Amino acid sequence: MTHAAGQSLRVARPSALVRFLHRHEGWRGYLLMAPALLLMAAAIIFPIGMTLVMSTWSLSGYDMVATPGLGNYTAMAEHPMFRVLILRSLTIALTCTAVTVLLCYPMAYFVAFHGGRHKAMWLIVMTLPFWTSYLLRVFAWKVVLGYEGVLNTGLIGLGIVDEPIAALLYSQTAVTIVLAHSWAAFALLPIYVSLEKIDRSYLEAAADLGDGPMKRFWRITFPLSLPGVVAAFIMMFVPTVGEYITPAMVGGPDGMMIGNLIQAMFGPMNNWPAGAALAVVMMLTIGLAGLVFVVLDRLLRR
Amino acid sequence: MDVLDQLGAVREGKLSRRAFNRSLFAVGISTVMMPVLPRRALAAPEDHATWFTWGGFDIPDYFDEYVAKRGELPNFSTYGSAEEALNKLQSGFVADIAMPCMTDVPRWSETGLFQPIDTSRLSNWPDIMPDLWNVPYNLKDGKPWLVPWEWGQTSIVYRTDLFELQGEESWDMLWDQRYAGRLGMLGGGGDAWWCAAIKAGVPFDQIHTDEAFEKISAVLREQRPLIRVYSDDTTSTDTALAAGELVACMAWNSSAVSLIGQGVPVKFAKPKEGALTWVCGQMLHAQAPNLDSAYDILDSLMSEAASAALIGGSGYGGSNRKAYDRFTDDELAALGLSRNPLEILEAGHLGIPQTAEWDRRMTETWEQIKLGF
Repeated sequence: MTHAAGQSLRVARPSALVRFLHRHEGWRGYLLMAPALLLMAAAIIFPIGMTLVMSTWSLSGYDMVATPGLGNYTAMAEHPMFRVLILRSLTIALTCTAVTVLLCYPMAYFVAFHGGRHKAMWLIVMTLPFWTSYLLRVFAWKVVLGYEGVLNTGLIGLGIVDEPIAALLYSQTAVTIVLAHSWAAFALLPIYVSLEKIDRSYLEAAADLGDGPMKRFWRITFPLSLPGVVAAFIMMFVPTVGEYITPAMVGGPDGMMIGNLIQAMFGPMNNWPAGAALAVVMMLTIGLAGLVFVVLDRLLRR
Repeated sequence: MDVLDQLGAVREGKLSRRAFNRSLFAVGISTVMMPVLPRRALAAPEDHATWFTWGGFDIPDYFDEYVAKRGELPNFSTYGSAEEALNKLQSGFVADIAMPCMTDVPRWSETGLFQPIDTSRLSNWPDIMPDLWNVPYNLKDGKPWLVPWEWGQTSIVYRTDLFELQGEESWDMLWDQRYAGRLGMLGGGGDAWWCAAIKAGVPFDQIHTDEAFEKISAVLREQRPLIRVYSDDTTSTDTALAAGELVACMAWNSSAVSLIGQGVPVKFAKPKEGALTWVCGQMLHAQAPNLDSAYDILDSLMSEAASAALIGGSGYGGSNRKAYDRFTDDELAALGLSRNPLEILEAGHLGIPQTAEWDRRMTETWEQIKLGF
């Protein structure tokens, strides 16, 4: 190695920290993730932990007593109200997710396969209604489903019914219909993405080998898009179970879901520990349901 | 980086990633900067006190004096039931003035969230009818916890053309099997529970007993299959009554006044068992951040103009004695009001203050009944 006369080649020895990081790739990764991890810990892990802790507390008068105990959980196991509401929420969520996925699949198929140069425009047009406020959309549905609403006056005008159908609003049906529409964007986009990824050359090959359009769809397109369908299912099912606003506005007395009971506990009933316990149970239930979907997904990928 | 050049490039498909990202960056920065720049021009909303009140009262009609003094309206925040209000305040929401009812005063004053009101700061105080505030549990060292603002009734609003009365008007109307699925109830226990007590024949001084709870729960459970909606949103129930979706609904005076004003054939019933009567008013938060503005709000609400607006606009009784001079006896009778509030308040059933434990038990039972259990 040559160097100018009178100068010695000096290379500063890196600090201990730099040497450490150089050797341990894992730590480099953790430090890189640290800001995001801190945010997650503060915003997600800490509140969930707080909920878990609060669910073991109890009430006395208007104040909470911080001695841990499983009183809230045993109370929930005894009273049939919680089981019924959780089951009802799961049923409504399952129904509206199934309906929405069924309806969104053709839409996503059209954009993915026949969208051409205007795919982006089609996607924007289809998701445009969801750029408005969620609450406004529910209100709009109240107008459509209402007693003197669009649907009823239309049906009466066409002579199909004599009197307005009362069960269109303030019922479980109303909740299912409104939820199915409100979350459609969440179902549409995952299905679109998975359809988009299908290699068109498979379809070409199948056509060359003699498959008609229907056979091509069922043998190639549909199985390859199933992961997206499952993803759409999960993405819509999980938030829908805990829905509160839609049942409160269009559910009527019989359409209430578990979210309404949790809100009642944190609100008028002022029983935060019981509400926290109910929230924990709901999280576990959805977790179990999610597990079913993940297992389904794994099976389908094989 | 001209905008037109960029658009032209997009059309031709020649926009480079770098140029695109640069323009996004510019848009982002300008969007973030926009609210910051004209902020100095807007009046700071923090100077005005917040009035935390029932939905529907957040209108300028009651604030002529306030606007004359301060130039703008105060801040509003609304709720649908007294339980909701207290819960929000207890979990840390600081509103300068909240609006409970007289029966809530002992429970609310015990929470330590409120301070007695210095009535010497209210110029309109001498005009307020003493019957409405001069009860022992309302006074602390001569200062009232609650300054009364409105009084009225909770009764039934029903469609005279759709509801066929069998005999006299009565609370049984809301338990009428003939109109199953077309009846409505208020969602808040503060009204529903007490009216059910009237229907079940439970005297109010017995309402804290276990027997009362059983009787009232039974009556409410019996009613549930007939109810279309339990709602605190008077706009929804008024619209439903106007459309004929509901034929009868538990409501306050204002629903009848607004529907009659729109030409809908409704009537505010005078049930033979008696209506639920109440006095509601304003309480001052112990840590009210804008005390002067809060007292101005109180003064404006107590003014004659505000009381008259209340009587004429919503059909509730105002608390300022002078406001009644603007109305004839007939007009007041048509609204179900009188110059002497005690006459009407005691003809109906005036609520009696209850303990916090009773309130919790009542709310729990009521919420369960509403859910169907």
